[in-house]
Amino acid sequence: MNVFIDKGEFVFFIGPTGAGKSTIIKLLLREEVPDKGKISVGDIDVTRLRRWKTPAYRRSIGCVFQDFRLLPNRTAAENVAFALEVIGKPKSVARRVVPEVLELVGLGGKEHRYPHELSGGEQQRVAVARAFVNRPLLLLADEPTGNLDPDTSIEIMRLLDRISRTGTTILMVTHDSNIVNQMRRRVIEIENGQIVRDQARGVYG
Amino acid sequence: MRAKYVMSEVFLGLWRNISMTVAMIITMAVSLTMLGAGLLLYNQVDVIEEYYQTNLEVVVYLDRDITPEMTDQIKAELEDSGYAAQVQYESKEEAFERFKDTFEESEDLVNAVEAEVLPAAFRIKMNDINDADKLIADFSEREGVYQVTNQRDILQQVFDILGGAQRLTLIVALVQGIAALMLVANTIQVAAYSRRREVAIMKLVGAPNWFVQAPFVLEAVFAGVIGAIFAFATLIAAKFLVIDGEFADLFSLMPPIQMQSILLLLPILTGISAVISAITAWITLRFNIKV
Repeated sequence: MNVFIDKGEFVFFIGPTGAGKSTIIKLLLREEVPDKGKISVGDIDVTRLRRWKTPAYRRSIGCVFQDFRLLPNRTAAENVAFALEVIGKPKSVARRVVPEVLELVGLGGKEHRYPHELSGGEQQRVAVARAFVNRPLLLLADEPTGNLDPDTSIEIMRLLDRISRTGTTILMVTHDSNIVNQMRRRVIEIENGQIVRDQARGVYG
Repeated sequence: MRAKYVMSEVFLGLWRNISMTVAMIITMAVSLTMLGAGLLLYNQVDVIEEYYQTNLEVVVYLDRDITPEMTDQIKAELEDSGYAAQVQYESKEEAFERFKDTFEESEDLVNAVEAEVLPAAFRIKMNDINDADKLIADFSEREGVYQVTNQRDILQQVFDILGGAQRLTLIVALVQGIAALMLVANTIQVAAYSRRREVAIMKLVGAPNWFVQAPFVLEAVFAGVIGAIFAFATLIAAKFLVIDGEFADLFSLMPPIQMQSILLLLPILTGISAVISAITAWITLRFNIKV
């Protein structure tokens, strides 16, 4: 398969289970390295990226998952700050940026709640805030609405849409036909590792 | 800031897995104590060798019924042989005095031995103690000579015992060391598992590898350093309670183990322990945390 995604695009990857959608995310994160073929993000050839350069590369990417992946013993603000902390940003930066981002995702006032005190949608907002806090050029979302009810899903999609408007490229893997149909963005359908459809303003089909 | 985070993770990790931490520290302490004892013995052999090198004598015991003329003749021959730096005559009476001094404690033994029984002797300071065998070969068959002994041969037995003890301590140190390193590897695996969520997130947001690994490696280093300190304390205690205390008589045969050489062991043991623990932890992590 051969795909080119332009800067600032919002792309859905759809297809049946086992088609290879999530593998795309893993390849882009360099969690897996392909046997052959080439993946480039910006100027970086991910397939030939040195192992020790991987962390620096990942900082230019944000990632959101179906299961949120928050630290249970940290508050919303601390979870977001953690992403800054571990890449060596000073605390003063975290103090300034974290409330901003939480405000952006609509969690103003809930900074000090722990994940178990937040609803699923709110937890996913924290995850989005964490993914976005470094202002990545590329945001990967692996079924971000998979665990959420339809209304909450739409709220999360609005949030992603707003992030997309800031110029961030968004690549989202999903099963959710409603969302794909509502958003009317580029849709790439995969089956058995092959692209069967690539539509600019597509529906789930 | 990041250092604070790493340190809190280290202690949290050690505390969460406290029984393993304690086991790790104990085995390390035992291993390092043995290693330290082995090193001390190694040092001790050198010290004893040096101590006696200058004081070693070859003793020529004379027949009991030797005539004064013969005695003078042997003395002259010894002096002319070229091996001896100094030849000192010890009469039967002097020999008995020395015997009484040596066995001061055992009165019965002293009473049982008559002054007549002990042979007169020449005590010879050698120019070169390595020529002792030649001197023994030349004089042991001579008329009027009862026996020639080299003190170094007696000392050799002490060396053999020390050498044996040293080998034993090093073997125990090695076996315990292997056990300790396996415990380190196991502890790191458990720690990595219990923190897999944090690790996954750290890697996701692009934390550098050293930062992901640091808490685990430092956990092992911390345990290693504590183990080394315990080992050091044990060696100090052994010096005061065993060598200078309970068994002082036994150890009076050899020059005392210097406090200084025990103190020197602290940095050595700590360094060895920290480095080996860190390497073990790091290797374990390479298998458990893939980037």
